[in-house]
Amino acid sequence: MSGMTLATISHVYAGRKVLDTVSLVIRPGEMVALVGPSGSGKSTLASIAAGIVKPTKGRILRQYRQHAMVFQQARLLPWANARENIAFPLMLNGLRKREALEKAESVAEKVALLPEDFDKMPGELSGGMRARVAIARALGVAPDFLIFDEPFAALDPALRRRLQDLVLSLGQDRAFGGMFITHDLAEAARLADHIAVLDRQGKGVLGTLTPPGQRGHRSDVDIFDFVQQSLYGDPLLSDLVHVDERAMPLDLVGDAGLGPRRCC
Amino acid sequence: MPGYMGFEGRINALRRGPVRERLVEWREMAPILALDGVKRFGPPMLGLGLFLATWQAGHVAYGAFILPSPVQTLQAAFGVLTTSEGWIVLGATVARVVAALAISLLIGGFFGLLAGYSNFGRAMFAPVATILLGIPATAWVILTMIWFGPSHGAILFTISVVTGPMLYIGMVDAVLTRDRRLEEMAAAFGASRWAQFSRVALRQIIATLAPVFGIALALGFKVAIMSELVSNVAGIGAALARSRAHMDIDMALAYVVLAVMGLLVIEHGLIRPMQRRVGAWKRVSG
Repeated sequence: MSGMTLATISHVYAGRKVLDTVSLVIRPGEMVALVGPSGSGKSTLASIAAGIVKPTKGRILRQYRQHAMVFQQARLLPWANARENIAFPLMLNGLRKREALEKAESVAEKVALLPEDFDKMPGELSGGMRARVAIARALGVAPDFLIFDEPFAALDPALRRRLQDLVLSLGQDRAFGGMFITHDLAEAARLADHIAVLDRQGKGVLGTLTPPGQRGHRSDVDIFDFVQQSLYGDPLLSDLVHVDERAMPLDLVGDAGLGPRRCC
Repeated sequence: MPGYMGFEGRINALRRGPVRERLVEWREMAPILALDGVKRFGPPMLGLGLFLATWQAGHVAYGAFILPSPVQTLQAAFGVLTTSEGWIVLGATVARVVAALAISLLIGGFFGLLAGYSNFGRAMFAPVATILLGIPATAWVILTMIWFGPSHGAILFTISVVTGPMLYIGMVDAVLTRDRRLEEMAAAFGASRWAQFSRVALRQIIATLAPVFGIALALGFKVAIMSELVSNVAGIGAALARSRAHMDIDMALAYVVLAVMGLLVIEHGLIRPMQRRVGAWKRVSG
């Protein structure tokens, strides 16, 4: 069992209602992408799911053994090298430093980090490497529920694609389910089983869309068709979900010869 | 020949490898290292040289009674260091500064932590800190003399009350400027509040506070000497007062030199290495 149920979650921050009775069910082993415009409360919902933020109202049913989170900016400890960063949650969970570092090395290899990078400080790592360390740090605790909060948003499209492949390969055996927050609808369609759309004022999940095919095996054309039909075939969604051309992979926008605003 | 690397990098590179190769490399690198050394140490040595030359010129112009030469002063300072009494005088001042700074750090640091983590505490302590910081150190010296008389405790109090608010402000700043996202990250992995503080926040707080501690140390030394001078309680300040009473300008300057050297030794032997150690990651992460 590795699912989660968020029931009628509301959250007020600095006098502003960020989330208003949002409900979402993530079934065991399922990866649900959460999309929505900026300010719709996606990251807040992820923080609530991760237990960082306590919601003002609502109930959360957690049906997993261990969760972990991958953040947008890797959030690596700047005084620790790559290996120590990966070992950090393991030490938090009570593992001795030596054992934690040994385990960190084996996890680092899974995300294709090279041994010569183990001793590098975060400032010496590239953006892609930092993202890999963040993923390894999350995988280190052997989670069965993973929360990704726009982990690749700041990376270039080619690198983003490689890291998406990495996430797909790591989740191939359905060892973990979870939540993937992204602005990029193609990324959502590629990595998730279902896509939940959050409305502009965090007033709730508008609906859950299910892209055709299996995650990781959808072609770019499928993804684009899905995005196009889901968003622009439904006037409600097209009105509420803002799609930025820059958030779409360039090849998709270019191949189709149309941008989201010119569509339908 | 290796590509560009810093002074330490070159030295470390030369320390590795077989002896013969190292000797050859040393010979090749010697002129480059010498140039590095000149670039690194030249300007400060020039500044120090100019200062000593000006001092010597003052000595020549006004005579040894008004201004002893640098050599005379160093001889007198060396004389102090060869006696156990001299070491007791220096030790008394250093011990007071260390003890008082520990008290300041404990009290100022504690209230700084409270204020850093609580808006209410910050708002409550802000005017108190402003008032305490606004009172001149000399005023504290006089006030504590009146309140407690010339005593060891009075000097400790004076140093603590002058440096405490500074460490308080430094602590508040350190708490407020820490990267809270790292604590969120730790929380996402199940870290308790205490673990978030001790394993993530404290490291950042210490790194930000370390330079403030260095400044507090220098200020503490000055206040200690001033307090000892006024209260005539054993220490560098009291020794200066005695030298003034005996019109012993050599000894007075010797103690000034020893005070400055003591501060430099503590700063460069203890504080700076500590700052480098706790703040190294800040330089790497840019």
